[in-house]
Parts: sequence; structure tokens; C-alpha cells
Amino acid sequence: MTRNAIASLLALVALALALAVLFPTHSAAAPPEQPIRYSHKVHVTDYKLDCRFCHVYAAKSASAGIPSLAKCMMCHRTIAAERPEIRKLAQYWKEKKPIPWVRVTELQEYTYFPHFRMVSYGKVPCLTCHPGIDRDDIAVQRQEFGMGWCLTCHRGRGVSIDCWTCHI
Amino acid sequence: MLNRRGFLKVGGATAFAALFGGCERLPKTLVPFVVPPENYALGESLWYASVCRQCPAGCGIVVRNSEGRAKKIEGNPLHPVNRGKLCARGQAGLQALYHPERLGKPLKLDGPRGSGKFREIPWEEALRLLMTGLASVREEAPGSLLMLSEPMRGHRNLVSARFMKAFGSPHRVAWDPFGQDVHLAANEAAYGVRDLPEYDIAGTRYLLSFSGDFLETGLSPVHFGHAYGRMRAARPTVRGKFVHFGPRLSMTAASADAFLPVAPGTEGFAALGIAHVMVREKLTPEAAGAVGLWNAGLKEFTPEAAGERTGISAADIEVVAREFGANQPGLAMAGDAAASCANGVFNLSAVGLLNLLAGNVGKPGGISFPDRLAAFRKYGAEAKLLLPAAESGYPAVRDAVERMGKGAFRMALLSGATNPAFTLPPSLNFEEALLKVPTIVSFASFLDETTSLSDLVLPVPTFLEEWGDDIAPAGHGGDAITLGQPVVTPFRDTRSMPDVLIAAARELGGPAAAALPWGSFRECLDKAYAGMGIDLEEARRNGGIFSGKAGASRPTPKAGSPALPKAAEAAFAGDPARYPLVLHVYPSIALSDGRGANLPWLQELPDPIATAVWRNWVEVGPKTAAALALSDGDGVTVSSPFGSLQAFVFVHPAIAEGVAAMPLGQGHTRYGKYAADRGGNPYALLPASVESATKAPARQSTRVSLVKTRMKGALVRTVHPEGQWLYENIL
Repeated sequence: MTRNAIASLLALVALALALAVLFPTHSAAAPPEQPIRYSHKVHVTDYKLDCRFCHVYAAKSASAGIPSLAKCMMCHRTIAAERPEIRKLAQYWKEKKPIPWVRVTELQEYTYFPHFRMVSYGKVPCLTCHPGIDRDDIAVQRQEFGMGWCLTCHRGRGVSIDCWTCHI
Repeated sequence: MLNRRGFLKVGGATAFAALFGGCERLPKTLVPFVVPPENYALGESLWYASVCRQCPAGCGIVVRNSEGRAKKIEGNPLHPVNRGKLCARGQAGLQALYHPERLGKPLKLDGPRGSGKFREIPWEEALRLLMTGLASVREEAPGSLLMLSEPMRGHRNLVSARFMKAFGSPHRVAWDPFGQDVHLAANEAAYGVRDLPEYDIAGTRYLLSFSGDFLETGLSPVHFGHAYGRMRAARPTVRGKFVHFGPRLSMTAASADAFLPVAPGTEGFAALGIAHVMVREKLTPEAAGAVGLWNAGLKEFTPEAAGERTGISAADIEVVAREFGANQPGLAMAGDAAASCANGVFNLSAVGLLNLLAGNVGKPGGISFPDRLAAFRKYGAEAKLLLPAAESGYPAVRDAVERMGKGAFRMALLSGATNPAFTLPPSLNFEEALLKVPTIVSFASFLDETTSLSDLVLPVPTFLEEWGDDIAPAGHGGDAITLGQPVVTPFRDTRSMPDVLIAAARELGGPAAAALPWGSFRECLDKAYAGMGIDLEEARRNGGIFSGKAGASRPTPKAGSPALPKAAEAAFAGDPARYPLVLHVYPSIALSDGRGANLPWLQELPDPIATAVWRNWVEVGPKTAAALALSDGDGVTVSSPFGSLQAFVFVHPAIAEGVAAMPLGQGHTRYGKYAADRGGNPYALLPASVESATKAPARQSTRVSLVKTRMKGALVRTVHPEGQWLYENIL
């Protein structure tokens, strides 16, 4: 291989890297290590549970909320109680310790995103912002919340795009 | 040493950290509840109605609960006593709830008795100790059990009373340094009713107050404050006028149209001077008809004679009397400083005479006596136990102290915020006597001067974590029962006193178990109110049962011919040559009788007159200060024949000359780091003397001397005494 060829290859690699940095694809990051391997797929796709069965506050609070341990145990006292992951869950319950779930979806802290407005008044389906989560064995964030992406939806639905709608 | 360059480096690093500290990423983990609190909704506030127990006024409160935590206390708008308002002490209830020094585990003495050294023990062990003690006392001498508490009301009091009765001990003593014995005796003498009245301040046209600091302390400051606001501005009729007589310009006096400084203990003579003018000039129909009163000796109490005793001018008395006579309905009130002199009943009866001469008894804008018993008739003889106990309990406390000293008690149960080791005069030697009781058990949230003397301390929940009920001593027509409920899940390992008593009674068995037949205090309350034909759930949501229609007021049997109160002089201990000034003590607006001193919000609340924070001071008038060569901010030793302390001088521009005034509440030796070692305790200057007719404590009954002393530091104030704003004091 000539020196020119090596140089152009390096330039190509550099370009590819720069492009990757500048235009990230919407592919998901590696799933985080969660304390319990909770599967959205099993609960939502296989057993057809409504999202808000567990995330009860989505319709009335800014945050959708993570279900309490008591909520998990409501079913898992009996259902699949012998599975190793459910045993872990039962151990937390026995020790009365909360589960330290690792955050999956991140939104910049300077943005105000009230779930209840989207869910109760906008009737925006959960999967619009959390695409593919219903088929994840371990949940990952597939959608980055860039301002352009938010605004496209806001414009399309004819809702406010004032700065202080989100940046308050 | 830090040089300039070093300082800049450190400063730069700090600034950098400050800039980027805020850019931390969102928390990495999301930790939900194991079991969410009841009615919990993420991000949504819930308001729970309950009752404030920061002072005995019994205001209704609503508490904002956000994500399982109490965040803010406000007044309950439905409650007849405070109508949505709340004072600083009530607001500070949150700090009692979250206090770092609050007891969360039972404590067992771990050192010499009285040392205040404890170690934590589990509840099982604590209850076993309590039960072993109770069982052996009941076996051998049930009458040697003493219960010393603050005055309790509602079913909490019923439980305690039944427990002691069934146990077989008559020694249930309630101590309130600001009890209303003198008011009760004077009301009996003047109106023939031994009860606390309702004052219709909102409806009156002319209000006379005799040392009644009703806007800041006393029976129900928030209720009176709200009513006063309506009298002054928020009503479509005439704006009421307010004249205040008293030894010092308090916040209440500062709100008056006129303040007339009278010598301590002469309030009754000022009132008789006004009565004299009313009768002489026939200013009201009742006064015109009071010939008997005139001949019985009222003619001697001329404004000139009253002026001579009180130190105000006869002309002022005449002007006030004519205005009072011409502006009816008028109302005369007296407060704690007039009541807690040796001649308290005389002072208050003389003030009562003004209400009789004004003919306002039982009328709007006047004084009335509602029937507070109505709601609890089904309890028969026990009904009185549920109502506010207005007495100070001083004779019983003195008796108990004497018995303790003689070794008559084998076990003492202590509870409540009135802290006798702090609030009783030192000459009673309460501490020494209490330590002669072999077993002392306290129910407490904090280790104050009294609870520190215990052998066993059982931690109780704060009022924000407890079930309860309450009947306020003023502010309703006998138709308001306040219901208390936990506004948060208790987050320390506490048990309420009635719950412990109910459990103890069950274990003792026999008559005790039969007298307290409930599983818990909540069950006791639920059963009691279930029979009243109300929706208890709804009532608790509203904060109580408020019918809105006043109960039938009691007849006032002696409305016909008022009697002339027997004139009595106030007495002050100490030789005037050695102790030239008369001591006037008053409860602090923030710290009350001293119970608020452990809450930093109340410590840093500037006194409305002195604007001082975090410690106490002694007030003298400008002439008195000049005569003693004292200036504002000087340190002095204040000595009475009974004790001495050091304080800074505050030259008060409006106080009767020859008087030294001190706020009560400061001067704790224990009670935690926010309360301890902040100046001397003025209770320690007081004699053990009593009001002559009622045997209530006579706080305004000693003389003091002030001697200039070097003291470290300064009194921190927000306002310069001469009135300029010193911004360096504020910023």
C-alpha cells in the first residue's frame, strides 16, 4: 500500500468519525446494567399491559414515575414467583429496600416536560417519544430529544412553540 | 497563613466549582418507594387538615404534603378560631417535625440521675421497664403515682384521667404557667360565670385593653388578630378605636390609637377611674343606674386618685371614659400582666365592671359566655375533661412538689411542653424534689430541662403525626371540635402517650383495662365521634366539626347590680432602696413560655418591638436608664431577691418609668443547641408568690436592681434603638 493510499484511508476514517459525531444515528446505546432484568416486552407486548398501569402518574404529574415495589409485588407475589429475577424482586421486598433502577431516558434538565400535558391533553401515544420500548427486553433510549425534533411535533400539532413553554 | 495569592487561588477554585457544580448530570438512578405513602401522587400536593398544638389556642391548620413530606403549614380557612390565618409559632411546627434533636428511640438513663445522659434502647425494653414500674407501684401503693403534664384537652385528657383514676391515684397535676385562674375568679365575681368568655372584638366600636397583649400572646392571638383586623378596617361600619393601658408598649399596644403607660399592678385603679367618670356623668344607661356602686365607694376612685396611682393624667382618664361611654358597643379586656400581679382578681374585676357599666354582656360587640359543654353532654360528669382546662394548676403543682420532697411518690409520669423545671420559680426547688421520686418516666419529643431529669424517656410523635381532637378555649360559640390527624407517615420510632397508656392499661388488666377499652387512641376517637351522627371522614377532611351556629349562651345571673371590687394593692418583693425597679415579665411572642426556643425559625424571628434575635434583653425607659447611668446596649446584671442574670439593656422609648421589663422564654440550660446558653432565664428572678385570691402564680411581684457589667458580644437587632435603620445590621 502506498503512502498516498494510507493517507486517504486515514482521511476517510477521520471523515467517517467526524460524520458520526456530527450526525448521530438514532441507533440505541448499549442497554444499561439494571438491578433486575425487567422486560418491557414481556409486560407490554406479550401480556398487553397498559403503560399507565405501572407509570400511574403520567396522566396527572410532570413525571410518569417508576412503579413502587409494592406495585410489582401486587402481581409477583404469585405470578412467576420462582423465576430468578422475580426472586431478586422478592428479596428487595423482604428487606423493604427500594430498587435502584438505572435511568434510561434522559431529557436535558433545562427543559420542562410535563408528562400529563402530553398524555392527558395532547393524547400523544407513549411510543412517540419512547419508540420501541415496548419490544425491549432491557429498555434503552432510542430517541434523543433534540429541540428540532420536539418543535417538529409541536408545529405539526399547532401547539405553542414559545421559548417558555419548555424552558421555564 | 493565607496570603493574597493563595486566597485568589482558593477563591478561583471555589468559583469554578460553583460554576460547574450546577452542570451535573441528572441523577443516574431512579429510586421509587417500596410502599408509596397513602394518597401519594408524584408531583401533586395534598393538603391535610389538622390541629396546631404549638400553643394552647387550638387553631385549625392545613398542611401541604408533597411526595410524603410535610412542606408548609397554613391556617384552615374553615376553622372558626383562626379563619385561615396562622402565626409564626404555628408555621414553625415543621421545624419541630424535622428537628435534628428530636427523639426517635426510647432513652434510658446512662449516668447519674439528672445528668441528662441517656442511651437508646428498643421499645420492647422501654415498655417492659414502664410496665414493671407501674405494676409494682399499683401493687404496693397506687396513690404514689404522679402524672405531671401540661393541661390537655379532648380525648387525650379523657384517656389520661381515666387511666389515673382506674390506677388508683388522685395525683394528676397539669401545669400551665399562663393559666387563667385569675380570669375565672374575676369572671365569677363580675358576671357570675366561672368560665372564659368570648370577646367580640370584630363587632366592637371602642376597645380598652388593660395589659392585654391579645394580638401577640395570650389565649388566642390569631383569633383576636383576625377579629381586630375586622374591627379596624375590614367592616363596612365605623372603624373601632383602641386604647391600651399597660406598663410597656408591646406590639399590641403599638397597634393602639393611644397607649397610656401605667405602673405595673395598677390596671384595676385605671379601670375604676374610668368607671367613676362613667357613673358620675351617667354616660350609659347602666352607669346612670349604678347609684349603689357609687355609694359603695366608687365615688372615692376619682380620675385624680387613679392618675396618682397609675402615673397617667386624670384628664386622659376622663377623655377615655367619655369616649368609651359614647361609643357603644365598647369592650374592655385585661391580659396576663394585669392578672399575674398579687392583686390580679381586683384588676380583672375592675375591668369586668367596665363591661357591666357599658351594658355589653351577652350583646354583639361585647362579651358573652357560650355553652362549650353542649357537644359532650353524653359523657356526663366526664364531659368537663374534654373541654379546655383554663387553670394554671399552681396550687396543685406546689402541693405535688412538697409531696415529692417528702418522698410521697414512687413514680412520676411527665408530659407536655410546659417544662416545670424551667418555668417554676427556683425557690420551689422543683428539680431537687423531682429527683426524690425513684422512677421518672417522660413522654417527650425533646430533652428539655424537665425531661432530662428522667430515668426513662418515651419518644412521642409531634402534633403533625398524631391522631387527636381539640376544643379551643376561645374563638367559637362552643360549636367547634377540631380533629387532628397525621399529615405525614411518622418517620421516627415514636408512640403517642394515649396509645402507650391504653396499652399499659390493657396489660395492667382489671379496672384499668375496663376504663380504657380500646385497641388504640385512634379507635377511641373513632368510636367517640361515630356516635355523634356525623361523617367522620368528611369531618377530618374539613379539620373538624364546625356547626356554624353558636350554641345557646349561658344566662349571666348577676347582670343586674354590679358590685364594687374590693381594692387591693399589688405587692412587690424586695427593698426599694436595694432593688429600685419593678420587674415586668411577659411571654415572648416567638418563644411563648419558652417552648419555642429550640426552633431556629422562632429564634431568628425579630421581636416586633426590640427587633432583637437569638437572646433576651432587659427594657428600661429613657429616664430610668439615665438615672442609672445606663445606655442602650450596655451589659447589666439583673438581680432580684431570688436570683440574678445578665442581659443587654434595651432603652425602650415607651415604658412606664421605674420598670424593668424582660421577655420570658430564653435562658435554657438544656433543650438542645438552638435553645441552650442564650442569656439568663427570667423565671429564675421570680418569687414563688401567689395572687392573693386565687393562689395563681404572681409573676409581676418582685423588684430588681440593674448593675452595669461587662458582657461579651452584643444584642443583635435589625433596627437601631433611635429609629434609624442601620443597614449593616440588616445585611
